[in-house]
Amino acid sequence: MACEFNLNFLKELEREAVLEVLYRDQMVRKTEEERIRKMKQQLQQLRWKGAKNARHEYQERSCARCQKSLGLLVNRGAVCNGCSHRVCSECRVCLNPCLWKCTICYAHGDVKVKAGEWFFEERAKKYPVYLFICWHNTLIVTLFNKSVENLFLSLTTHIKKISKSQNDMADRCVLTTDYGKNVERRKQRRSQSDTAINVTSRVSILLYTVSSCKSCFRGSLYSLSSTCTESGNFGKANITGEIEFALKYNFRACILEICIKACKNLAYGEEKRKKCNPYVKVYLLPDKSPWSKRKTAVKKSTVDPEFDETLKYKIEHSQLRSRQLQISVWHAGALKYRVFLGEVVIPLAAWNFEEDSMQFDWYPLKPKVIPSFCASLYLKSKMWRKLAPFSGNKDQGVLNCQLQVMIFGAKNLPMLRSAGMVNSFVKGCLILPGQAEVKQKSPVLKKEACPQWKHLFVFDGVTPAQLQQSCLHLTVWHKSIFSSSDQFLGGAKLGAKDQGCQWKFSEKPFVSMVIFMGQSHAKTSTEIVCSNSHRALHIFKDLFL
Amino acid sequence: MASATDSRYGQKESSDQNFDYMFKILIIGNSSVGKTSFLFRYADDSFTPAFVSTVGIDFKVKTIYRNDKRIKLQIWDTAGQERYRTITTAYYRGAMGFILMYDITNEESFNAVQDWSTQIKTYSWDNAQVLLVGNKCDMEDERVVSSEKGRQLAEHLGFEFFEASAKDNINVKQTFERLVDIICEKMSESLDTADPAVTGAKQGPQLTDQQAPPHQDCAC
Repeated sequence: MACEFNLNFLKELEREAVLEVLYRDQMVRKTEEERIRKMKQQLQQLRWKGAKNARHEYQERSCARCQKSLGLLVNRGAVCNGCSHRVCSECRVCLNPCLWKCTICYAHGDVKVKAGEWFFEERAKKYPVYLFICWHNTLIVTLFNKSVENLFLSLTTHIKKISKSQNDMADRCVLTTDYGKNVERRKQRRSQSDTAINVTSRVSILLYTVSSCKSCFRGSLYSLSSTCTESGNFGKANITGEIEFALKYNFRACILEICIKACKNLAYGEEKRKKCNPYVKVYLLPDKSPWSKRKTAVKKSTVDPEFDETLKYKIEHSQLRSRQLQISVWHAGALKYRVFLGEVVIPLAAWNFEEDSMQFDWYPLKPKVIPSFCASLYLKSKMWRKLAPFSGNKDQGVLNCQLQVMIFGAKNLPMLRSAGMVNSFVKGCLILPGQAEVKQKSPVLKKEACPQWKHLFVFDGVTPAQLQQSCLHLTVWHKSIFSSSDQFLGGAKLGAKDQGCQWKFSEKPFVSMVIFMGQSHAKTSTEIVCSNSHRALHIFKDLFL
Repeated sequence: MASATDSRYGQKESSDQNFDYMFKILIIGNSSVGKTSFLFRYADDSFTPAFVSTVGIDFKVKTIYRNDKRIKLQIWDTAGQERYRTITTAYYRGAMGFILMYDITNEESFNAVQDWSTQIKTYSWDNAQVLLVGNKCDMEDERVVSSEKGRQLAEHLGFEFFEASAKDNINVKQTFERLVDIICEKMSESLDTADPAVTGAKQGPQLTDQQAPPHQDCAC
């Protein structure tokens, strides 16, 4: 049911207009996601408050919510209809004179209504297996790579939280996956049965990379949540705690101010020695250069540091749209040993700067998520017609057409544990109607995480008409030095409508594309992210150049 | 019930998180029946007689206060032209309610109502709430579709019916508010059947002092 949809039939201006709308919609969605996340988090916190844990001893009769002991005659408590826990009279919400629920059941129902889950559930009756992501979500989420991160972030934290907390509500668990156009029912079913976790809500995730055939869905999730492989080496702590800060934008001076107030409940940077010297580091992503970095002072020996510092960036308001604020907390150990204590990433596009006063808020720290799942290839393609010397001859004209595909480079290629850096090259295989294949290879670039081949594939003697019927496989490989077989890193299939991704080429100018590659050999989930519209190019630049 | 829109919103609306529900509404109907004008009248209280065909899709956001709840509406305006059909139908799935519009001065647009309703049935969820709206009721002189005919068709299709005018601002607000109301009704209905205890959503529960903290407190 993935809407077979592309904007190719639109004219340039139309496409731009539609993309503009999609972009705005994306902003609305982000806000909505954020709101729902807040609500759910609140609910989770409420649950935690009442959660029993093994370390404490509890009286036999105690309120399941506030742990207050209950009497045998007076203040006996009563059993909640929703969760069948005994709660005291204070932990109840009366819905009407003869009906009440415990605070958590009430909050849970409330969240369900406010998050619009009733609608998704109703709709699921009509579309039972499939998930609820509109096609354009697929499109736009792909466009805005970052929001996928957020999705994953919320998913992974969600799962973590839930597995930690008591599961006192048996909720229907719907963990759905979208493989873009290649919906694999088998995997979907599997993903549903695999989740022994009670996900309190519908979590729709969008998987770009179908994890390789061997590892199941679950494996890929875990690997995502544990990626902490930024090139620098640093320690990892269990992420806990929150950070309090406020954002302010000075419109007159064009200055973005980040007022870092405090952190609480941080993890120890060195757990064994109970040491923690925290400081806060801020980047205005996507810029990760030293110019984009701001740091607070290091506070000694505390897990509840008070910073009270304001970090500033001079930046135009219009630029904020494309930026994300990455606020991370670190432990400064001896000899420049750093331990990552958690981070918060704020997409500034959705941020409301118009308030006069600053509003301080607490934000829970999150683990780092690196979009290793979004391997991308960027390229340009065009159809080139040589000036045919014998223009009268039709066959000659055919021979003089060629398809040129310029492969610039790739990003976020999966790291190979054995090799570390990859020695990568690209294979291009044009499959013409009638199964004829034309193969080409790029040179191998050694030990580069983000290889830039800048290699031109030229496929000669293909007519535009033929091209409509054919498809191009672009695959990225790691050249093994010792073993004979090369390792597959990712691939994409460009082609006519039913054969994967629609592919754009034009006669004269190159059409730029960014392609997210699947990492499974057999099934590649591919999305062409950008074609030749301004907006798209802008994003293209933002993300990859 | 009195309804007030908050003028403080406006530009900030899309990033404002201070609301209880979010409803997505889709306006559909033949080309040039006045969908965009209708939306502009409602969202911006403006009207331009010039006809500019919508490219594919567009939307506006408006937060209203209704039934003691702040409801954020994301109202999608679709292109009536056939060539954008693939785009517009993609949005049916996400919509909770529809405004199906025809032009009372255009017989053809009225005849197409049946087709549009089939489109809704095909692409949307089963409980899709639809209002049939006969637009341009200010142009009484050029009327070719009688109110009665409209009403009958609406009854036949099981939709509620309004005649409205985006130009003279007749029944515009009422249409949206009615749609919001019936979506609210549907919502509490679906909650009732799913879980009899969660009726509090609409009745305005009496909270004890241990109530869940308000949602705006927690950030992130």
